[in-house]
Amino acid sequence: MGIEEEFVPVILFQLGPLQVTSTVVNTWIIMAVVSAALIVLGKRLRVKPARWQNALEWVVEAIDGLIQDMIPEHPRLFLPVVGTLMVFITAANLGGLIPGLKSPTSDINTPLALALVVFFSVHYYGIHEKGLLGHLKHYVEPIFILLPIELASELARTFSLTFRLFGNILGEEIVIAVLFLILPYFVPVPMMLFSIFTSVIQAYVFGLLTVVYISGAVRAHE
Amino acid sequence: MGDLLASELFIILTVLISGAGIVVGVIVPAIGQMLVASRAMNAIARQPEASDAVNRALILSLAMLESLAIYILAVILILLFANPLREFIVNVGG
Repeated sequence: MGIEEEFVPVILFQLGPLQVTSTVVNTWIIMAVVSAALIVLGKRLRVKPARWQNALEWVVEAIDGLIQDMIPEHPRLFLPVVGTLMVFITAANLGGLIPGLKSPTSDINTPLALALVVFFSVHYYGIHEKGLLGHLKHYVEPIFILLPIELASELARTFSLTFRLFGNILGEEIVIAVLFLILPYFVPVPMMLFSIFTSVIQAYVFGLLTVVYISGAVRAHE
Repeated sequence: MGDLLASELFIILTVLISGAGIVVGVIVPAIGQMLVASRAMNAIARQPEASDAVNRALILSLAMLESLAIYILAVILILLFANPLREFIVNVGG
């Protein structure tokens, strides 16, 4: 049925020892479009904002408020990481609706890479805040016997971030593909509208969970 | 049933288990989300000034519960469409 190509990435060309798959090319396209659009808009900022600037400022303030609620100490430190994750994941999820593009997040490697970014940044910010010993101490904090459970939950967090994003986006794509077989151009449209909604929600949830995990590592236990 | 090929039995069992699995795998997280959402509604109705905090906790809890259903969906999709054991069964079983 040809649906196996949903799961196995297509290798496009070789770049030295690395094989460049279609997922990577889709990621490059989305990165280029989003970066170019935002750089061009960034040069036209005014003190008295136009409508689009107002909308973008609302988005940035929403993300900033989200971080400030959880980590009141220095929220601006985390805004780049969390904001970039949310914007990129939104763009990547929605990019699958454009004909010719396939969401890079529907290949399991991209959500895995993003979840690993979250994993390492949690430890990085924890060590940056509390030092290596302080950060490691917080795993044995309540009772020492909880240590294996804490380690297992670190692993479970990374996997759950990966599979939440991957499963949602791939599931939507497969449903749209199957609906397309029934009656093309008409039947998939409600599902595509719904997938716009869930794409944004999944990006928001990914960012929210990143903030929660970082705040768990950075804040002192009450 | 004795003259079924191993590959046919494999396909029949996969389809049956996928159907049953997806039904159970959607009902259980749905019950969990139902409990969370109904208690959040109670809390907001009881104390409207806490509605911001309750709303935030509600969204977070619903996202975590939603992901359980997504795990089941991902496993079922892999079983049906990209099962790595299929070639093994077809080659060995016949």
